Amino acid sequence: MPNATSPIANARRRSELLLVLLAGVITVAAYVLASLGKNASIPAGLGPFLAFVVALLLVAHVAVRFLARGADALMLPLVALLHGIGFVMISRLSDRLARLQATWTLVAIAAFVVTLLVVERVGDLRRYRYTTLAVGVGLLLLPLVPSLGFTSGGARIWVNLGPINFQPGEFAKIALAVFFAAYLAEYFTTKTKEEGTLIGAEPWRIGKLVLPEAQHFVPVMLAWGASVVVMVFEKDLGSSLLFFTLFVVLLWIATERTSYLLVGFGLFAVGAVIAYNVFGHVQTRVSIWLDPWSQYESRGYQPIQALFSLAEGGLTGTGLGLGDPAAVPAAHNDFIFAAIGEELGLLGSVAVLSAYVLLIGGGLRTALRADRAFDKLLATGLTTIIGVQAFIIIGGVVRVVPLTGVTLPFVSYGGSSLVANYVLLALLLRISDTTSRRLHETTDTASVWERLEAWRARRASKKTEAA
Amino acid sequence: MNIRIRHLTMAFVVLYAVLFLQVNRWQFLQRDALVDDPRNNRVTVRQFNSPRGRIVTADGDVVARTVKIDPKKRPNARFQYQREYPDGELFAHVTGYYTVAFGATQLERTENDVLTGKTGQQQVQGVDDLFTRDLTGTVELTLRSDLQKVTQQALKGRVGSAVVMDPRTGAVLAMYSNPTFDPNLVASHDTGEANDVLMKLQADKEKPLLANAYQERYMPGSTFKVLTTAIAFETGALTNLSNYPVTNKWVPPNTDNPIQNYGKKTCGGDLAEVFSRSCNIPFAQTAVALGPDTMVNGVNAFGLEEAVPIDLPGAATSTFGGDSDYFKDSLALLAIHGFGQGGVQLTPLHMATIASSVANGGVMMKPYVVQRRVASDNTVISDTQAQPWKTPMTAATARTLTSLMEGVVREGTAACCMQLKNGVKAAAKTGTAQLFDDPKKQRSHAWIMGFAPAEQPRVAVAVMLKGVNEEISAGTGGKLAGPVAKRLLDAALSLVPSG
Repeated sequence: MPNATSPIANARRRSELLLVLLAGVITVAAYVLASLGKNASIPAGLGPFLAFVVALLLVAHVAVRFLARGADALMLPLVALLHGIGFVMISRLSDRLARLQATWTLVAIAAFVVTLLVVERVGDLRRYRYTTLAVGVGLLLLPLVPSLGFTSGGARIWVNLGPINFQPGEFAKIALAVFFAAYLAEYFTTKTKEEGTLIGAEPWRIGKLVLPEAQHFVPVMLAWGASVVVMVFEKDLGSSLLFFTLFVVLLWIATERTSYLLVGFGLFAVGAVIAYNVFGHVQTRVSIWLDPWSQYESRGYQPIQALFSLAEGGLTGTGLGLGDPAAVPAAHNDFIFAAIGEELGLLGSVAVLSAYVLLIGGGLRTALRADRAFDKLLATGLTTIIGVQAFIIIGGVVRVVPLTGVTLPFVSYGGSSLVANYVLLALLLRISDTTSRRLHETTDTASVWERLEAWRARRASKKTEAA
Repeated sequence: MNIRIRHLTMAFVVLYAVLFLQVNRWQFLQRDALVDDPRNNRVTVRQFNSPRGRIVTADGDVVARTVKIDPKKRPNARFQYQREYPDGELFAHVTGYYTVAFGATQLERTENDVLTGKTGQQQVQGVDDLFTRDLTGTVELTLRSDLQKVTQQALKGRVGSAVVMDPRTGAVLAMYSNPTFDPNLVASHDTGEANDVLMKLQADKEKPLLANAYQERYMPGSTFKVLTTAIAFETGALTNLSNYPVTNKWVPPNTDNPIQNYGKKTCGGDLAEVFSRSCNIPFAQTAVALGPDTMVNGVNAFGLEEAVPIDLPGAATSTFGGDSDYFKDSLALLAIHGFGQGGVQLTPLHMATIASSVANGGVMMKPYVVQRRVASDNTVISDTQAQPWKTPMTAATARTLTSLMEGVVREGTAACCMQLKNGVKAAAKTGTAQLFDDPKKQRSHAWIMGFAPAEQPRVAVAVMLKGVNEEISAGTGGKLAGPVAKRLLDAALSLVPSG
């Protein structure tokens, strides 16, 4: 509820509204320019599109205003901007995909609002940590179920549910982030600076290096196992790397021990070397990364077309609708960053990079401000998912790392990814809001459910009184 | 935990900084290399997926255009647009071709910016009107399709070139060479097919790909006497009253080999007579009398040793065959060059501009083929203004030469074949360039240059028939090239509006 006694929260919401509308203006303007560039005409149905964009943005903003008043003001506008640019690129590449993506956008905003509505206090999630573990692992393994899962684009990460296909891995990463934050928070909340180490056993050391305790190997091994499953059976290198990074980073942050980081990446290196030697698809990816030019006619074609696409854009880009981004296979999905780079130039691609850096900054600021271990770890984990995933796919397109097919969060075409990432954003905003209430930046008013409960209780007591 | 979270933040900043640097690498530092990479066919794809403007003749005939490919008829088409040349071979040497894999030539190359809408004016128009995606411009030629067709027919069965121009402006009205080629075949999107066609054309010894009218030069024979005569008048070495001994042999300085007249005839008399009968010896003597410096400076005033500044690429440079030092050592060669034999070589286009300079009172206009460049909104981007290139002679000399050339038509070497319709008087000079490249078979090129009407010239012409067969080599310029020139002058005078 808008509240005069919460000036900080009110200011945040005002900034958010302004920035969200700015993102909307940019999106609609880009949409018009792309249509002018491509067809030399104002897009058909511009009015409804404008109404659609503004309505969705306002719904998201109003949801935050009512359900998470104290939350960070920057993250929603940044996401709206990335989402808008992505949608314009998709609509410019394919009308059909644009219609599907628009539908998914509706679902994603609905999921965003529902998440804010259902998760009233972020601490609630802690109680369901083993449920989330089961859900996460289940989702992860779902594509392996015969007749349900199927392979597309070389990776078995898809599940067919009647009319729709989706990638359960997109949701699994959130579930697993919740579980790990809860698991690690449970072990490490008792730890204080004075105690120095955990209650119980003296840690093993090699010189100054403190080795992880035996019981903490369990989650590490679990993470490693999950990554291996994803890599070996689903052939999804990008997600494998993402999961593993998530777990190792959380372990490192929770324990504050660099040894976990070293051990974690040591394990990953071992796994990677084994995978490279055993699996052909890993070798292929690496060889394309190292030298795409010698295999231009075959596997190197796509990454080289992406480089041509980026080069075509140059400093200022060809202009929206005026480039030829469709020359890159899968431009709407894995290679959407190249499409943006072509039509918006270096300025546009750097703007997208900056938006991600700012979004990561917002997420980690939320983690820093949070005063409970679980909140901190969850915010860090969720931010890491976005940050690492965007890095992996952009890095793949610009040849910093081998190309692995993951979506560019909020930008790429893909329903599962979009919905999952909006849920993730809702959780981050929820953590931010919870912290803000604890810091008394905003009044800790009752939530919708709490008010509903109170109203019921009042009514019940009135009834009993009457009776 | 906060310290670690800060470290994590730093780690992300570093990771994204790496991405930032790498994006700069592809979009800025190594951009040009990627754009120019031979495997990068984006430029081609973009060009062939966009419309391209038309090239039209002065009489409104479209000679180059782009048509949208109907995907129903050609479902496997690589691109959206096909370049077409509706007249086939007719304007090949002017428009050139525009291909997927072999670049573009002639106007297709030099007028690319206008045709694709990239000139500054067209870009400004594009900003003004966002809804005009089609910014392609139109190139309007000075050439006339009707006259060009007459030229094509007149040269049918011959190897050779003809150029018709307006002597007053330098506007080229027709320019055609045989053999030529059909640019439609080269413009095929099937690059293998186009390559086969090009290879075959390149192997042809008559060089059909080369626009022989301005990209190839030939020995001019007696048409060159116009230059020698003009130079002599300019320096005062000749007057109308000059007389030459009647003889069949003359031994120039520093040699024992005598110079003979064409067909070893005996020839001489006053200037009008030796000019109209095209005696060789008087002009050899004149050249030697003028001396190497005067002759070389004189021919340079006609633009020899320079490429004709036409608005088409790759014009060949006509040459006198040596500088003054070269001729000081060999006055015999100067004598031979003086009547257009030996190392003298001119392009047919250059010959037409020389005829034009006589017709235009001594002022040689810059020849041009593009009259106007018009944007898609019908605004004129540029309208070519006539410009003088050289002034090789005074108006008085031009008048004298005109009367000498009228004599050629009245009673000289062109008397057979240059009587124009409606009694219009023409002025001309013939040439039979004898090539001594094969001792067994004598070959010669047949030339004629001239203009009409002699009193008030509107059209100038140069015709060159290459001595590739017995018939040409046995004939003379007047008999062979004369009828072609007559046909062109008649056609031009009736087709081109006087004004």
